[in-house]
Amino acid sequence: MSALLEVSDLRLQFGGVKAVDGLSFTVESGEILAVIGPNGAGKTSAFNCISGFYLPTSGSVVFDGNDIVREAPSIWRSLRLVDLLQSFGFYRVLPSRVTKWGMARTFQNLRLFRELSVLDNVKTAMHANLREGFWATLLHTPGYRRAEQECADQARGWLDFVGFTGDENLYVTQLPYGEQRRVEIARALATSPKLLLLDEPAAGLNFNEKQALMQLIRRIRDLGVAVVLIEHDMGLIMELAERIVVLNYGKEIAVGTPEQIKNDPVVIEAYLGVEDEPIDDTKLQTGTVDLSLLDTGSDKTRREKRS
Amino acid sequence: MSRSLKTRDSALRAPSPLFDRPDAPGGIFTSNRGFLRALGVAAVVLLAVLPFLDASRYTMSIATSALIYVMLCMGLNVVVGYAGLLDLGYIAFFAVGAYVSGILTTVVGWPMWMALPATVLACIVAGVIIGAPTLRLRSDYLAIVTLGFGEIIRITANNLQITGGPSGIHGIPTWQFGDWSFADGFTLFGLEFPQRVVFYYFVGIVVVLVGVIGAGRLARGKLGRAWKAVRDDEDAAEAMGINTYIAKITAYIIGAVWAGVAGQLMATHLSAISPNSFQFLYSALILMAVVLGGMGSTPGVIIGALFVSLAPELLRDFSEWRFLIFGILLVVVMLFRPAGLWPSTAVLPWLKRQKPVPPPTAGFMAVPSPSANEDLETVEGEESR
Repeated sequence: MSALLEVSDLRLQFGGVKAVDGLSFTVESGEILAVIGPNGAGKTSAFNCISGFYLPTSGSVVFDGNDIVREAPSIWRSLRLVDLLQSFGFYRVLPSRVTKWGMARTFQNLRLFRELSVLDNVKTAMHANLREGFWATLLHTPGYRRAEQECADQARGWLDFVGFTGDENLYVTQLPYGEQRRVEIARALATSPKLLLLDEPAAGLNFNEKQALMQLIRRIRDLGVAVVLIEHDMGLIMELAERIVVLNYGKEIAVGTPEQIKNDPVVIEAYLGVEDEPIDDTKLQTGTVDLSLLDTGSDKTRREKRS
Repeated sequence: MSRSLKTRDSALRAPSPLFDRPDAPGGIFTSNRGFLRALGVAAVVLLAVLPFLDASRYTMSIATSALIYVMLCMGLNVVVGYAGLLDLGYIAFFAVGAYVSGILTTVVGWPMWMALPATVLACIVAGVIIGAPTLRLRSDYLAIVTLGFGEIIRITANNLQITGGPSGIHGIPTWQFGDWSFADGFTLFGLEFPQRVVFYYFVGIVVVLVGVIGAGRLARGKLGRAWKAVRDDEDAAEAMGINTYIAKITAYIIGAVWAGVAGQLMATHLSAISPNSFQFLYSALILMAVVLGGMGSTPGVIIGALFVSLAPELLRDFSEWRFLIFGILLVVVMLFRPAGLWPSTAVLPWLKRQKPVPPPTAGFMAVPSPSANEDLETVEGEESR
């Protein structure tokens, strides 16, 4: 069977900035994959392309047999109407559709529904799977009541699964940060995903909470859900991930098991940097070296070395 | 697995809850909802009794227009309060409802009961026409475009032949069933119901009742959760599998239908409509009522609507000062209750109790997992600390 998620040669360009530059990786069902890289390496941009929020410049993303990147016919391209059409939902796959196919995600900064209760937050995620007609809602038919009851039960099931023990009727803003993270994962799980994208789930958590999070991610994997996570906490990643993809400057620079990644010189270089050649003092004084270009110049050489 | 939740065969099933939850209290003084229900029943009884206390033409007319305001505000509450779409041209839908029913009954000559479904249909179409191109916009831009649409509708009505131009439509007939119409009145249990205004008042009560309960029910269901999710965070809502465009346009259509029905009520109640009744001022007034009462809160919005429609009348004694006093009152209210008179997040004062917030780590201790044996060392280490 082919992989659950296949990303090949994904490119995303914002003007002159190449946020994602030819990224390719696959995710098998039921595995835990970590995506790491220095700040600004394009991890979140890649996530946004995969989950349908950003429209990649080129490349393909196939999730569970569904193509997430759609090509607009060249006639619209030549008429420069592609952006307009895409803003109306043509020639693109909306994130909601991707979610219905079975890909759920969390956000780097918590993005819970602030004016909804904890329970309603999780119930909201069942939108696509919930059958409630308009008239049934207006008339409160027995079918509607049953659907609501079942929806609430499942939401509570997910809240219990992630270990949320607080009051489900509180507004999410009344919860401590760690609990909000938990609710966000419960909400993502409530969409009944096959693949869960976690964008920095451990950010801002203390040691205990990180341990709990690792347990939770393993239990999610045991349900048969593939987990892809972006993380900066190396300890957590080395312990948790089965495979690691390392990004830098929008490019994949290494893939492998935690052991392999730990000892990869390219990765170490990307994180710690290499020593630049010392700058000639005389050139500085005479003004032949443009200081503002120093950084980007050295970056360029590094990138060329790698590729 | 029941059929109410459709899930793919291979899809992830929710685990069953680990704990039994106690049933939510439902008493009048032990729950928010019970109290609101009791309050609603009391309000309906009060409204029904009012004509027997004072059935003067003036009181009934004021009360009926207050009911129309409540209906309008409930509709705008769906758009602004639940879906979070700032609509500055909401009165346009009110105009569509009033004009469609007015034209169909006078120019075309349909009876009122046939005009009602046509009005609703016209409002749905208007909602789609105005909503479809604009709802891709967010916040400020949407507000400006809706403002434009509101003016377009009014100016169109002002310039078309069929709408009667600036003088509008006169002689809109009342509801007629066979030979008997609302204008005839009747006697029940020795009480006379002579004026048609009284009837509009009662029809108004029924319509508002349906409108309030209907909007409330929609807000608590799947659709309402989708609206509120879009309001709180559009991207997160999209990530949760909600097609935000469809959610927003549904809110728009519901709002349009509510306003259209209110428009028809007004057209039959006043029997005359003109473009002057659909100025921007009224869009702003209704929006103000919703914000003043508390966006997304049914009791709040009703209070806001009553305030905005009745305050100018009650302040009539102050003659030319009344709008100044009205304005000062509004400023004072917004200063002291910035979230509205009755915010949607309000908890009844006697139900407020301090619940201890569980410690952040309590959760994972409570749910040990068999697959996490390798972590047990750290877990025990934490416990002994």
